[in-house]
Amino acid sequence: MTTKPRLKTGSHLLPGLAAVALFVVMAVTILQASFGDPQGFGPDTPITASIGYAMFNLDMGAVPGEGFLVAFIVIAVALDAALDGAILLAKREEEGSAVALLADGGRRVRDQLTGRSGETDADPDGEHDGGDR
Amino acid sequence: MVPVQWYLLLAAAVFCIGLFGILTRRNALLFLMSVELMLNAANINLVAFSAYWGNVTGQTFSLFTMALAAAEVAVGIGIILVLYRNFGDIDVTLAKEMRW
Repeated sequence: MTTKPRLKTGSHLLPGLAAVALFVVMAVTILQASFGDPQGFGPDTPITASIGYAMFNLDMGAVPGEGFLVAFIVIAVALDAALDGAILLAKREEEGSAVALLADGGRRVRDQLTGRSGETDADPDGEHDGGDR
Repeated sequence: MVPVQWYLLLAAAVFCIGLFGILTRRNALLFLMSVELMLNAANINLVAFSAYWGNVTGQTFSLFTMALAAAEVAVGIGIILVLYRNFGDIDVTLAKEMRW
């Protein structure tokens, strides 16, 4: 028998009512607020070129905008740090090293010290059916 | 031109869909997707007001926001990997303590 994807409805969706209520509040506020007519960029404005100039603090763009050179550098450093962090987190330590002993949260060391068997206490109910997530 | 209200309404809808996902889901990957939706709702607002004022600052800033979102996803997926390695699952409700 073939199965098709089904929308799982149930009580776990109840907290989502807060999100729906927030949308109603935001929609009412937005639709009641008054904005003037948008200025727009005009038909033949080089927007992409202006973004490029604004990114490097060059005052050559046809559209006004602030300079973003410092933000550019800061974002470059942040991306570098994030890449290093992701590699550090995802790296699998070699067996036998001191770090590898703690890679499982220190459970193996604890079990050896206390003489307990290797069961995990992470999921006491044993619910691994992947149910309504 | 499209009035700016409709862009704001779209952004509010996308933001609330992301919030809905965060409040109702327990899978860490779906959490990440929901956070991305909320971040991109902010981007829609930035670009909409960039066009509204005829100023390119909002669009440039949204580019930086996207780069930051990429960094956040890289770290987030690393954390999910460690979560799976330690708990055998990526249910966010399993990790209750900072250290165990």
